[in-house]
Amino acid sequence: MTPLLPLFLGAALGLAAATSALAIERGGSMSFARYDDSAIIDPVYADRNPDLWMINAFYETLLRNGPDGSIVPGLAESHAVSADGKTITLTLRDGLRFSDGSPITGEDVVFSLDRARNPDLGPWAGLLGSVESVAAEGDTVTLALKQPDPTILSILATFNTGIMPKAAFEKAAGATDQEKAQAFFAGGPVTSGPFMLKSRVQGASMSFARNPNYWRPGEDGKPLPYLDAVDFTVIPDDATRILKLQAGEVDAAEFIPFARVGELGADPDLKMELFPSTRIVYAPINTREARADGAKNPLADVKVRQALNYATNKDVLIKLVTFGTGKPMTSLMSAATQLHYGPEPLYPYDPEKARALLGEAGLSGGFEVKLTTLAGSADDATLFTALQQMWAPLGIDLTVEQVDNPTRGEKNRSGAFDIHTYGWANDVNDPAQVTGWLGYYKQRQAVGTGWNNAEFNDLFEKSNSEVDPEKRRGEYKRMQEIYAQEAPLLFLFETPFAVAVSRSIEGYVQTPLGANDFSEAWRARK
Amino acid sequence: MPSLSYLLARLVQIIPTFLLVMVFIFLIVRLLPGDPAIAMAEAKATDAQIEQIRRNLGLDQPLPVQFVVFVKNTLTGDLGRSIMLKAPVTEVILARLPTTIFLALYSVVLAICLAGPLAFLAAARANGAADIAIRSVFQVGLSMPVFYIGLLLLTVLAAKLRLFPVGGYGTSFLDNLYHLILPALSVALYTSAIILRNLRASLIEVLDADYVQFARAKGLSPRIVMTRHVLRNAMVSTVTLLGLSIGNLMSGTLVTETVFAVPGVGRLMLEAIFARDYPLIQGLTLTFAVLVSVVFLLTDVVQSWLDPRLRQS
Amino acid sequence: MSAVTLPAARPSRLKAFLARAFAKPAFVTGFAILVLSLALALFPGVLAPYDPLAFDLDAIQQGPSLAHLFGTDNFGRDMLSRVIWAYSVDMQMAFFATVFALLIGVTTGAIVGYYGGIADMIFGRCVDAIITFPFLVLVIAIVAVLGPGLVNMYVAITAVNWVYYARLTRAEIMAQKANDYAAAGRVLGYSDTRIIFRHLLPNAISPVIVYWMTDMALAILLGSSLGYLGLGAQPPAAEWGVLIAEGRNFLMTAWWMSLTPGIAIVVTGLGFSLLGDALADLLRPKGR
Repeated sequence: MTPLLPLFLGAALGLAAATSALAIERGGSMSFARYDDSAIIDPVYADRNPDLWMINAFYETLLRNGPDGSIVPGLAESHAVSADGKTITLTLRDGLRFSDGSPITGEDVVFSLDRARNPDLGPWAGLLGSVESVAAEGDTVTLALKQPDPTILSILATFNTGIMPKAAFEKAAGATDQEKAQAFFAGGPVTSGPFMLKSRVQGASMSFARNPNYWRPGEDGKPLPYLDAVDFTVIPDDATRILKLQAGEVDAAEFIPFARVGELGADPDLKMELFPSTRIVYAPINTREARADGAKNPLADVKVRQALNYATNKDVLIKLVTFGTGKPMTSLMSAATQLHYGPEPLYPYDPEKARALLGEAGLSGGFEVKLTTLAGSADDATLFTALQQMWAPLGIDLTVEQVDNPTRGEKNRSGAFDIHTYGWANDVNDPAQVTGWLGYYKQRQAVGTGWNNAEFNDLFEKSNSEVDPEKRRGEYKRMQEIYAQEAPLLFLFETPFAVAVSRSIEGYVQTPLGANDFSEAWRARK
Repeated sequence: MPSLSYLLARLVQIIPTFLLVMVFIFLIVRLLPGDPAIAMAEAKATDAQIEQIRRNLGLDQPLPVQFVVFVKNTLTGDLGRSIMLKAPVTEVILARLPTTIFLALYSVVLAICLAGPLAFLAAARANGAADIAIRSVFQVGLSMPVFYIGLLLLTVLAAKLRLFPVGGYGTSFLDNLYHLILPALSVALYTSAIILRNLRASLIEVLDADYVQFARAKGLSPRIVMTRHVLRNAMVSTVTLLGLSIGNLMSGTLVTETVFAVPGVGRLMLEAIFARDYPLIQGLTLTFAVLVSVVFLLTDVVQSWLDPRLRQS
Repeated sequence: MSAVTLPAARPSRLKAFLARAFAKPAFVTGFAILVLSLALALFPGVLAPYDPLAFDLDAIQQGPSLAHLFGTDNFGRDMLSRVIWAYSVDMQMAFFATVFALLIGVTTGAIVGYYGGIADMIFGRCVDAIITFPFLVLVIAIVAVLGPGLVNMYVAITAVNWVYYARLTRAEIMAQKANDYAAAGRVLGYSDTRIIFRHLLPNAISPVIVYWMTDMALAILLGSSLGYLGLGAQPPAAEWGVLIAEGRNFLMTAWWMSLTPGIAIVVTGLGFSLLGDALADLLRPKGR
């Protein structure tokens, strides 16, 4: 037995050392360099990512997304769905309080949800389109639905259903809801989330203070958050943001260009975090029979679209654009999305297959394709150069057209393009949002591609009121198979969220939906 | 001091100019190809939302009506709402303006501190070794874009040597002086090259001028000659030059604010442009025009105060 | 030629002028830089050792070496070749961003300077209004409306820049108008067009040419600034401002990516301004 003792001891010591390194310390603050400022942090009016991705710091939802993507309790300690799927009953926790000390009641929940689903207010009301009415009695909140809605629980964990204080909001100055929202935010809002707004210099900086009344307990059993404050500086320029981190002037910097990931990963003072995300980079292909000028569109032929996909070496693109941090797409949606189905990367590089498909389509003689790129985007420029070099051997003459963002959107709307690039990240922890955006013709002509597949559209409509999870999973599997086969996109890659964090900060997370989560971040003292 | 009537006359002169300025700003947005409302809308906007934007901007009215409304609103300080920041344009600009003005003044002071003594040194012995060295260095400075000067300073002084902060903005006056030194210096290096060139020439001219030679011959002490004649003349020409190059200075701060992440109106202008936030672009363009006019006016005033002869003409 | 001797450039005067010019070191240096720049701009395909756009994933961010004198960028592209190809873009910018402003400005300036009156007054207000905007602010506002890109950038710069040429020409023409030979031309019954463009303008043009030299240097500074800000030339095209912007993320690790195009800007700008200064010296009327 004796020889074993040192080993055992060593293991025990090692374990002790590991736990002490992870023992959470409370207090202190962290500073965070952002790429853009929030205009308004309000669950209803926020429409840009810098706004959306901060809402969870201020407004807690009834349900939450767990770390594995499952739905877990939030302000509501329990929830139940009726057998017909048309009634949702939630029970609030005891003793919930807003940051000003006032209790969080059913009345606040009704107020917040009614506001969130009012189509006259914000752009997100549609997410609650199935809700007929919201009522509260004591700690019990009841949602009556017009029809069963499989996404409703995910929506109750989405930023737009964050719970706001009715009394304090209504006291804010202004005649309309929008004016009140502005005044409420500007005055340092009363919050239900882990933080509150301490100060803000528009366009430059923002400071969060700990909400002492936040409900969720930390690892030490006391309420979160661990930090007393988070200080934000807005630095749109990537290089300056990183220099500031390297100089130790901030503790973390978000949106690290992938070109810098390797270098920062080698920096002993920093942790280079690559958070799994639902972000995809893809290129809608115009599938309409005719081009905008009336000429016959070769891309209307599914064989040609498949050929382009086979002719695209995704591994090289991933190396060039994401510096090896990306992954090939396996479905229309990212692998981190619920109900994702994609056993293997779509269209692995195979120039011979591409050549054969083009032959079948009668296009062996080559043809011209125009790539619409975003002016000023280095990534688009790289993609264009690489695709041009990859496709040239097949006789595809790729030309470029540079436009600005609004023009690109306009071209996408009117179908005046061949191929262009787009990026997407889910806002909701459910596949319906991304699937509707990319494939459902009636929403936006399947992301402007004009792809109109009857089977896919039917499945999508059916899945939106499908209460049986297994049936819904089957419908999603089939939709993803059809989409992959039909290739209305050039499937490019998935990318992570790259955030570089000082070694003294632990526990900061950017969620797969992009939200900045500081609730469990803490600063280690040396 | 210049008389009140002189000031008034100058102000009256500005009115037609400003009306034209307003026409330009008005037309810039209206003449663009396509519908500004669509350009401003988010990709996911519905037709109703686009119609709403059009109504908010008054784009459904005939052009002359729009112009009258635009002038009236502008005069009452209402520049519309920023699309990107969801706040009144006036409010947004006023919040950022002090930073830019601080940065501009800071760089002017730095430029004078830099160019002044060197110009005297160079002019004292024209075409001497010091003169040639100083002029060569500044000639190179004149050939460098402000953003490049900024990048060099940023890399060497902030990132490599860590002498100064990388960027941002302070909370107090002294803190600002410290935080903004590199951005101010980038603009100052370019401005000082212009000042130096002019100041050196005017100093050489004055030192050669008959009345200075005469004053010397009269036996006036060099110090009196220097302050009474040389300095005064040098100041007149420098003030004029600085006044006239206020546009350059503003262009420089626009660039340097972007390089150093300084939250002023210059960086805001670029952000507004990338977001196609037309009300904000309009408001900012107007703000810059007002700034330049005010400086032109101040230059006139200071000039006529320094050199009473100018007032008669 | 008429009986009245009207001053015009003659071959012998040109020869004397060139002799004086080439005796000035500033002129010679500026001239040499510009000839070299022009050669690089006109024949980048011959002079650049590599394809400026081809990726070489085995040679990413290599420092300067014999194979790559200026090093390589983050896609393994040869920086020397990219800087050389950028010469054609930037020299083009120097020319096209100024030449239309020069033509429009000189014509307008000559006409309002000669006729004066109400046209001159309207012109004066326009000038006042345009110079009330900081140059860069007005240019980027116009680019914002037209959309980024080289041609739109030329349009924007020309829309603002012509004023400076017009102002300069107007002043010169007004000074020349007072001279005897203008009156003589009128007495002889020459048309106004002939007097303006054949007699007044040739004598008024030299300050404009001097200004043009400096302005081309400014156009490179402005164009590369716009490229850097993402509003001018667009990647993957090589342009010095764009190249510096691309190197911006690698200031510490691959300094050659931003330094080499920067040096090209400074040297070329220096060429233009040396030449401009030297010409100003040479053309300055004696006794002024």
